[in-house]
Amino acid sequence: MFRFQSLDEDCMLEEEDDGLIEEEDEIDQFNDDTFGAGAIDDDWQEEHKRLAELDERDGLGAGLGFGGGGMGGDSDLSTSKRPSSTRIPSSAVHPPPPSSLASLSFSSSSSGLPPSDVEDRVGEGDLAESLARLILDADPAIAGVGAAERPGPSSGSSGSGLSALRGLDQPRVLPQPSPIPPPTQPHQHPQHQLPPGLPASGLPPSSMLSYQQQQHLLRRGTAPMGQMSSHSIWENSMGFGPVSVAPGLVTHMEDNPLMSIIKEVGHPKRAPQGRNDEDLSERVPPPRSSSPVIGSPPVRAVPIGTPPKQPMSHALNHQIHHPTAVHVRAPVQHRYPAPFPERLSPNTLLNIANSPLCRGPFPPRVGPVLSQIQRAQLLNSQVAGFPRGGPPPLLPGGGGFRPFFGGPPPPHGHRMGPPPPHGPPNHAPPIRHNTTHLHPQHRRMLTQRMQSRGGDRRPGMDRRSRDPYSNLMTQKEKEWVTKIQMMQLQSTDPYLDDYYYQNYYEKMEKRQEKERDSSKKEHTTKLITPQVAKVEHTYRPVQFAGSLGKLTVSSVNNPRKMIDAVVTTRSDDEEKREKQVWNKRRQILYTVEKMYSLLLEVQDFEKRFVQAPEEDREALLEQHKSNTEQLCSSLREKEWDDRVSDEQCVMIMSVRKGKRLISRLLPFLPSTQAAAVVMAIARNLPALAKKDKQDQVLCWLVEPVSAVIQSLSSASLTDLLQELQGSEGQLATVLHNKFGVTLLYVILSEGERMQSSDPNCQLMDDNRWTELVFSVTRELLSVPSSSLSPPLFTPPNLLSLFSRYVDRQRLELLQDKLQISALSR
Amino acid sequence: MNYVPGTASLIDDIDKKHLVLLRDGRTLIGYLRSIDQFANLVFHQTVERIHVGKKFGDIPRGIFIVRGENVVLLGEIDMEKPCDTVLQQVSIEEILEEQRLQQQAKQETEKVKMQVLKDRGLSIPKADNLDEY
Repeated sequence: MFRFQSLDEDCMLEEEDDGLIEEEDEIDQFNDDTFGAGAIDDDWQEEHKRLAELDERDGLGAGLGFGGGGMGGDSDLSTSKRPSSTRIPSSAVHPPPPSSLASLSFSSSSSGLPPSDVEDRVGEGDLAESLARLILDADPAIAGVGAAERPGPSSGSSGSGLSALRGLDQPRVLPQPSPIPPPTQPHQHPQHQLPPGLPASGLPPSSMLSYQQQQHLLRRGTAPMGQMSSHSIWENSMGFGPVSVAPGLVTHMEDNPLMSIIKEVGHPKRAPQGRNDEDLSERVPPPRSSSPVIGSPPVRAVPIGTPPKQPMSHALNHQIHHPTAVHVRAPVQHRYPAPFPERLSPNTLLNIANSPLCRGPFPPRVGPVLSQIQRAQLLNSQVAGFPRGGPPPLLPGGGGFRPFFGGPPPPHGHRMGPPPPHGPPNHAPPIRHNTTHLHPQHRRMLTQRMQSRGGDRRPGMDRRSRDPYSNLMTQKEKEWVTKIQMMQLQSTDPYLDDYYYQNYYEKMEKRQEKERDSSKKEHTTKLITPQVAKVEHTYRPVQFAGSLGKLTVSSVNNPRKMIDAVVTTRSDDEEKREKQVWNKRRQILYTVEKMYSLLLEVQDFEKRFVQAPEEDREALLEQHKSNTEQLCSSLREKEWDDRVSDEQCVMIMSVRKGKRLISRLLPFLPSTQAAAVVMAIARNLPALAKKDKQDQVLCWLVEPVSAVIQSLSSASLTDLLQELQGSEGQLATVLHNKFGVTLLYVILSEGERMQSSDPNCQLMDDNRWTELVFSVTRELLSVPSSSLSPPLFTPPNLLSLFSRYVDRQRLELLQDKLQISALSR
Repeated sequence: MNYVPGTASLIDDIDKKHLVLLRDGRTLIGYLRSIDQFANLVFHQTVERIHVGKKFGDIPRGIFIVRGENVVLLGEIDMEKPCDTVLQQVSIEEILEEQRLQQQAKQETEKVKMQVLKDRGLSIPKADNLDEY
């Protein structure tokens, strides 16, 4: 602020101007104004009006030194040497308060030294350039266009406090109470210097002027951009966005990550100055209306989705949320002592301008401002001729991946992906990407794939290299998209978020291990996906100490309670009865759900056990035990704690999910309990079968139940068979049901197996087994074929079983009926 | 080369010729130049291919930007694969004419159907007016 109040501090200005020039990076005009930080939501109509007005005005203010400051040098050249260009430059500028003019010795200095090389290029100017210059010169408002949108927290507490204090209508005006040497800020800044002091002082932005002057000189200096395909106003327009300083000064933005941060994050933009400096009330509302600073997410000058223009350093990632104002002077490379301390001489400027140009990545004849297409073409030509020399700009990208790792980057965190395969000679070295976060299997497969594809790549690559439009999407942009995709994979608990991927890779690894016979012992079981440390981000809305009441601001992080939901119970008699039925069902469902969560934990226990570090294992084990215990107890009766409750089981099994639950649960139960459960199933099979008619999911139970049966003792087996037969007619229903038939067969087959394998089998000790089998066969024979449900599978030894007990005739009948034969499966 | 191995990413498809089917039924063929995180696509030298029966026609469209949500499918066109197709290419006017006829026929049948339903007091609401699934 104070800077503008005294024009005596020109030396500072000059330095800043210097620095500012040198920091500039290659500017992408298209993106800048349409998508990038340069895009402002200004009222285009106003802009247009202003432009139009400026256009009309002719011959005005030629004598005015103002705009003139920038004009000073220009007017000479423009009017004298460039008859072709319109007289716009000299026109139109809005006369500033005369006091400021007087103090400007600006014009004199600049006019005194028309640089010779500039003259040469003058003739090449075009309408666009002059217009642009006009715009800039003409109106400090335009030059300062763009509202200050210093992100809230960034301006520091003082800033926000100040802004809060001064009311919301001027928040943009006071982005920074502390002075920021504006020219040191990257290109987006230059106009932003004005705001604070200007309304108060009403002085023209003198530094702006000098800056503008530089702009124009530089522009002209870099005018020979024959490759500029379109001379539209947009390409060179600076008025509508932050001034893009001659991009030829690709400075070492990369060297100075902080500068790039600022560029990325954007800068405070101020509302465009009204013509009337004193008339603040008519100020255009800030282009990006946002909720008040307090309690809202940080406002970004650049919408979050925009692609980067410059390589983003990894520090940027931290900056995104808390952009802070950084006053950094970019390293000033070429400082020539200015002959006139107040202003930078054009000579100096151009000298400075040229050197980075010469050292730029592109041949000097190339203008620094390239459109996307030109850049792509350039890249293509490079590719076509020789392997791409530029280093893959992945280091920032690689660094950018760092935040994805919870702790310090892995030892080879920067080690880029697999070494490139030695493909065909004109094959550009493949972009090394950071694959350390992916499974080692991935990497291996990737290398293999790449190697195998190295041969086929040639025809494709050739074609692509000949395509003049390829590489429109720059490497940086590709990385940026990839980075976003990777960010989406960040997770604090990969086993929870990405279960299937983790499992899939484990399985694959196991398979590979089997195949390879563990000849290579390089397997690591650790899977690395971008992991974010579990940090608690609790947002607490801003509160002022000692104030009465709270702020009534509602935002994304601090939502306001809109509805008071109160639970009321209805107390109608009829509804009660109805409710009871529903309640029971709900109760069952609830029980099933709770058991399921326990079951899932039990099932995952092994996996987690392996993953857990040593300290946690004890705790995990304990938890596992308690879980299993709980599961068991949930099946038990309420009164007697040691018997499996029939009722409970049946209840659970009346729900489809419950059946599934039981089938998954059986392997985890202790054998006695499991046996009891199976008994319960057998006992209640008719009921279950009836309930299952719709769902037909009882068959899920076959496998676990068979497993249980195979572990039964002979006595229990007999018991089971008895249960299955149960009361009169139960067997018939059992046979009706697929599951029942299968179960029966399984039991019989198990019995047979016992008998045949174990000579001292006690199955035959009492006659129960025999009797039961007899009754089964009787039933089987008497039941009509149609009502006999086909089983899921027929155990092979049934035939031998039956052959023990029945005579030949019956055996054959049975065979036909059950379609079992000596060879049947 | 894959930037995110083990996953599907469009990065590898850049600068290759693709065929995309949009939600409104259009088929576009063009060189995929740029993508973003929403799978918005930028196509270059795009051609809209209209199929009617066994005929098809190509209408050159230039540069297309497709919003990601409107893509049904996207596939790379293998330039080297021999193209043996029974489809016959016709001129633009012809294919547009065919399309118009096809649309007309469809509308006629639709109209008849609606009339028949209306006579019976039934109605099938159009999908876009449905509020519930």
